[in-house]
Amino acid sequence: MLESAERNNGKKVLSIQLEIGELTHLNGEQVAFWVKELFKDSVAEGAEVKIKAIKARIHCTVCGYRGGIRSDREDSFQHLALHACPQCNSFQFKIEKGRECFLRRIQVVG
Amino acid sequence: MRVIKSRGLEIFDVELGKDLLARNRSLAKENRKRLDRAKILAIDIMGSIGSGKTSLIKAILKKIGMGDSVAVIAGDLTTTIDAERIEAEGARVIQVNTGRECHLDANLIQQALNRMELDGVKLLFVENVGNLICPGEFPLGAHKRLVVTSVTEGPYTLMKHPYIFREADVIVLNKIDLAKAMKVNLSQLERDAKKINAHAPFIKTNALSGMGLSRIINALELKT
Repeated sequence: MLESAERNNGKKVLSIQLEIGELTHLNGEQVAFWVKELFKDSVAEGAEVKIKAIKARIHCTVCGYRGGIRSDREDSFQHLALHACPQCNSFQFKIEKGRECFLRRIQVVG
Repeated sequence: MRVIKSRGLEIFDVELGKDLLARNRSLAKENRKRLDRAKILAIDIMGSIGSGKTSLIKAILKKIGMGDSVAVIAGDLTTTIDAERIEAEGARVIQVNTGRECHLDANLIQQALNRMELDGVKLLFVENVGNLICPGEFPLGAHKRLVVTSVTEGPYTLMKHPYIFREADVIVLNKIDLAKAMKVNLSQLERDAKKINAHAPFIKTNALSGMGLSRIINALELKT
């Protein structure tokens, strides 16, 4: 990231945008904290860390359903609990999305 | 790389689109290729702290009697206790101390493979760090993944950690001799396992007595 900022003649990094899949066990608050720590004493010191969640997407191998997961629970980590296919209630599905961790883009001042 | 410069202002976005987990996946693929070329079957043993990963590996080694044609990469934070226990069974052992990290990753495995004498090795066990969360997110390049849990962890471990069990080719429930004392319902745990992962064989074991070992050896297709 620092190399990219430098290559683009960026003098300061204003923000860092990450995208984290909701089926990873990464906690956005902890990631943001450590990214800020990591870039202390660099051109990215003090940059705002923005984290966007990547929604889970599954493909059910029983009924062919493709789409999001459903949860009856309201707490913020409910998506990491055990889920069934919302269409046929099977647990046999492939995860198509939700396990990624992207450094998407940075905003820099030239 | 796509650079979008905003007009008149000197603030702009630099698109990176860098997948931070992709490097681990590509290193895992390299490890797999290397193992395939050397005709080594590699098994990643994951599981909870104290579930019996080392005891299980020791028991399997004893039963298959392949001596030093088996290599073991033992992952642990700081100690060599597990490596020493396994070495006693005649396998080649390399200890990977992660220091602080709660899981092994493909890079650490690559480094271990670089340092090991692999001539004559036919089977490789990788004992992951005891943890049911992070190891599931870091493929190492192993051909099969076995996840161990034990009845002393209580009745809810599988339902609490579905994602690592989804990744498993074989699920082992160890210490079943203690089920009664722990008031754990074995058939309920088996139903949980089948619900999460219908394809992985669910094998009940007592690594210390040897119970269930033959089923593991069959499930992993280890030649004895």
